Amino acid sequence: MTEAAPQPVATASPEPPSETNGRPIFAAEDVVKRFGGIRAVNGATMSVREGSITALIGPNGAGKTTFFNVITGFYRPDGGRATFQDKPVLGRPPYAIARLGMVRTFQITKALRRMSVIDNMMLAAPDQPGERLGNVVFRPRASRRRERAVRERAIELLEVFNLTKLAEDYAGTLSGGQRKLLELSRALMARPRFLLLDEPMAGINPTLGRRLLDHMQRLRAEEGVTFLFVEHDMEVVMNHSDRVVVMAEGRVIAQGEPHEVRRDQAVIDAYLGATA
Amino acid sequence: MTELLPTLPLAIDLEAFASLGFWTGVGILAGTYTIFALGLQINVGFTGIFNFGQAGFMAIGAYSMAILVTDAELSFWLALPIAILITIAFGLLIGLPALRLRTDYLAIATIAAAEALRLFALNARDLTGGAQGIFGFDNDWDDVSDSILSGLESLGWTNPETLFPLFLVVWGVAIVLIIALTALQKTPWGRVLRAVREDEDAARALGKNAFAYKLQSLAIAAALGAIAGFFLALNLRFIIPDEFLPIFTFLGYAVLVLGGLASYWGVAVGSIVFWTLFEGLRFLELPFDEVQIRALQFIVLGLVLILLMAFRPQGMFGKRQEMVLGD
Repeated sequence: MTEAAPQPVATASPEPPSETNGRPIFAAEDVVKRFGGIRAVNGATMSVREGSITALIGPNGAGKTTFFNVITGFYRPDGGRATFQDKPVLGRPPYAIARLGMVRTFQITKALRRMSVIDNMMLAAPDQPGERLGNVVFRPRASRRRERAVRERAIELLEVFNLTKLAEDYAGTLSGGQRKLLELSRALMARPRFLLLDEPMAGINPTLGRRLLDHMQRLRAEEGVTFLFVEHDMEVVMNHSDRVVVMAEGRVIAQGEPHEVRRDQAVIDAYLGATA
Repeated sequence: MTELLPTLPLAIDLEAFASLGFWTGVGILAGTYTIFALGLQINVGFTGIFNFGQAGFMAIGAYSMAILVTDAELSFWLALPIAILITIAFGLLIGLPALRLRTDYLAIATIAAAEALRLFALNARDLTGGAQGIFGFDNDWDDVSDSILSGLESLGWTNPETLFPLFLVVWGVAIVLIIALTALQKTPWGRVLRAVREDEDAARALGKNAFAYKLQSLAIAAALGAIAGFFLALNLRFIIPDEFLPIFTFLGYAVLVLGGLASYWGVAVGSIVFWTLFEGLRFLELPFDEVQIRALQFIVLGLVLILLMAFRPQGMFGKRQEMVLGD
């Protein structure tokens, strides 16, 4: 469908956005999350442009992962607003947010260990009527029909990520790098419009990391997926993202294009230091 | 020396062991426990929730049926589905708050609910007959049992075991349930259950309402507990609170461990092995009295479980690899 398109197209947008000029697909305003007396996220305001690959950086303890957890519904927010495609998401349960097309991965991979790789993949497919008990009993045909399509899509994606040979293996037997790939491809099975990746490059070798980055570029180009990813490697951030959001002490202290952000005095003071 | 020999405790009373009455009784217990532990299997083996209140569900099912028949004078056959619905409602009532708790707290909450229920049954004499219990609910079943018996006689079995019809029906139901649950587990619905067992957060991040699935799993376990309760009641012909002590849930877990996690057929085999061992001990000619035999049953059960853990920790039907890969 998107193959014929001459340039990257975000399907939800009426006109094809250039790489960095899309309208915001996601916006957060004054998001607050407290743990006891600690304000882990302390009024974070930021936005992610549609079709962009946006990096979220900041020192350890800046609240990046907490922010992720709040906007994807895993933590209950203590304040603020957030919208995805103009729909409010803050305070909604994680599964409802995922169904809107805003899908996340975790810093520590969550492979479903005692399930096969292919089952991991097929689980993530949306719109499977067979996931409802009533449909399983009364509409088994619809479930089976959807299941065939889901399996096809899963095999396609496994091929893209070089996991085909492992399809029938337990996900728990995969190496750390393979699990990262599985988690990304599984997230893609959910047909996301906006993918949030928490340190996708952590703990995997540079070759695999480069492949992961290539996949992100391609997904953005071919399917118009928007990315927000937490990353510590500044080289990756500067070379592979077109927007950067910087957090420190629970706030967003800067956002913009990589070259702007790296010259920002507040960012240098808080995070980059003299080395950047 | 020669005087000691006849009392050596290792002779087996083969005659009793071969008696059909004995096997019928063991078979009914094993079948009832299979249905009982199928509920634990869907919770523990497939959803990862630790339901320790299965005896409570069994109690609700049995008492509801008996009260509907004796007090409300409903037909036995109508009382069965209503009792199942009541038990499911009770499961949802416990599940709605308790399934939001962490695994270990859920175990505490369910065992407490089951015990509260048993103590209620002990004290609400007007409703449950208290310690005297309820009987006289099984006339409709007796008619069916009699016609099965005469059927058996017409097949050429003179003087068939009176409990044999119950044996046939309990295993018929157990096998149908196992086939249905096994098929259910292979559907996308079953896949979501397993995903919830593996990692609830991962399932939620992929758009699955993990809580709703845990609730459904508990509701199914409750229904299975109720069905087990019916057979328990028909087997004993009366219902008293002592039939629903928490020990029965724990024995259900022993069946689960024997058979292996995440296998419904394993539950049936585990239950058969468990009850054969447990009741078979009575027929070893041991120089012990009844009380000592009761104690010995648990000692042997403990030994068997220890040996199982040492040599086949995944149970008879469990998958070793799944065991190793689990957290």
